Amino acid sequence: MNRLYTLFITVCVLWTTTVSAVDKGAPPVPATAKCAVCGMFVAKYPEWVSSTRFKDGSLSYYDGPKDMFSHYFDTARYTPGKRQADMVTLTVKDYYTLAPLDARTAFYVTGSDISGPMGQELVPFRGEKDARAFKADHKGKRIVRFNEITLQSITALK
Amino acid sequence: MIRTGERQRNILEFALSSLHRRRGRNLSLLAMYVLIIFVLASLLFFVSALKREAALVLHDAPDLIVQRMIAGRQELIPVEYGAEIASIRGVAEVRSRLWGYYFDSWNGANYTVIAHNSPTGTEGGAAIGSGVARSRKVKVGEMFPLRTPGTEPLLLEVKTIFPDSSDLRAADLIIISTADFSRLFNFPVGKVTDLAVTVTNVRELPTVAAKIASLHPDSRPILKSEIQRTYQSIFDWRGGMTLLILLSAVLSFIIFAWDRATGLSAEERKEIGILKSIGWETSDVLLLKFWEGCAISLPAFLLGVILAYGHVFFLSAPLFSQALKGWSILYPRFQLVPVVDISQLLVLFFLTVIPYTTATIIPSWRTATIDPDAAMRS
Repeated sequence: MNRLYTLFITVCVLWTTTVSAVDKGAPPVPATAKCAVCGMFVAKYPEWVSSTRFKDGSLSYYDGPKDMFSHYFDTARYTPGKRQADMVTLTVKDYYTLAPLDARTAFYVTGSDISGPMGQELVPFRGEKDARAFKADHKGKRIVRFNEITLQSITALK
Repeated sequence: MIRTGERQRNILEFALSSLHRRRGRNLSLLAMYVLIIFVLASLLFFVSALKREAALVLHDAPDLIVQRMIAGRQELIPVEYGAEIASIRGVAEVRSRLWGYYFDSWNGANYTVIAHNSPTGTEGGAAIGSGVARSRKVKVGEMFPLRTPGTEPLLLEVKTIFPDSSDLRAADLIIISTADFSRLFNFPVGKVTDLAVTVTNVRELPTVAAKIASLHPDSRPILKSEIQRTYQSIFDWRGGMTLLILLSAVLSFIIFAWDRATGLSAEERKEIGILKSIGWETSDVLLLKFWEGCAISLPAFLLGVILAYGHVFFLSAPLFSQALKGWSILYPRFQLVPVVDISQLLVLFFLTVIPYTTATIIPSWRTATIDPDAAMRS
């Protein structure tokens, strides 16, 4: 056992494993979960996974904030019988730390050179400073808040 | 349906007995065929097993390594660089790494020395790879000296010896405490060998690397993906040694198949002539030749692949290992983990069995279509 432990340490020293902050605090995304809007498997894109929780406890996953907003603005189309008001929590991931983040408080950068699995994305950040730094680094166009986002601005993204 | 089956069975039986009649010739053919398949399949198995080992080693590698370059040579990097890099957005962690190589003049081996303060690696103690233990002839609990730039050698007690199973990675490894590391190499204070940077979001890696390069123009950020690419191409088909062996094996196969394809012996032509004259159709003759080809190439393929499997995974590929494994003095003793890539085997099958069978059918077809009388007389 001791040997195994030492070997483990060695590998750590040699190649410095660090547990990434993916899914910290949030339940892990099931491997079979599909995006509620586009139908793609979301577990393949851990850095983009977004989710909403409905009043009845059910969860919907998305492979990027863009699809989450599509669902938010047109809830009945993707989940018949449910309304926008039934969405209790909306979660996105901070681009830099990949920590889950309340979508309503996030800062989003549009028009950057970073694209998600479904093309152009709204890249979410916890803080405005991070969003500004990202906008400068990645040729972003605008920083928007949750309530500034409309269905038109979502459909305009390619 | 039953008649077709019977016809196939009869022709197969005839094919086998005609192979049996020319036993010597066909056995040498089989041996040659097995040898070529063996070399090709061994190479396939060996390369894919090595690639897998490399991928395993690199799986836990840091996303980004930062080195410092002066006049095109790697230099020690100041610890302060680490703090500055840690403040870049997206960087989760920066770790300073202390490691180096120790040349053992006593036996000409090179050891990899890593500094780490682990529970087992206290000052004066060392964890060593089995290659080091073999070459220094030490056991757990014994002491061994290493030369230092000063007058006093560094005496280390062996606390752990890594098991043979980790040999590919750890054969030449010595892990000692940071204080011992500084004494062993007279290492300057405030400097480290390199920095391992972890970035949470892999998409941000190129940006972080570019920022590090502009922050410290004397630094060289190396991405994990670049290291992986280098390793893959070393072991890849393009990798010089592999390509050479593969090329020579394929060439010899082409010569072998060509020899078969360019013509039949007078005896074989005569046989085809007789078969035609006693009422065999051209399609029967072709079927006969097809079964003959299969009876040689299928067993040869299977035998060659099985022998190659044993050669690579039970005997650790003694034919190639000297050429393809690089290590200076401490050769790692390791058992490769069996990996069989079905698609590669299929490629091998289609590159050998199919061309061979075709090569045996075509000249027979040419003979079978001419007049039986002419075929018997020629």
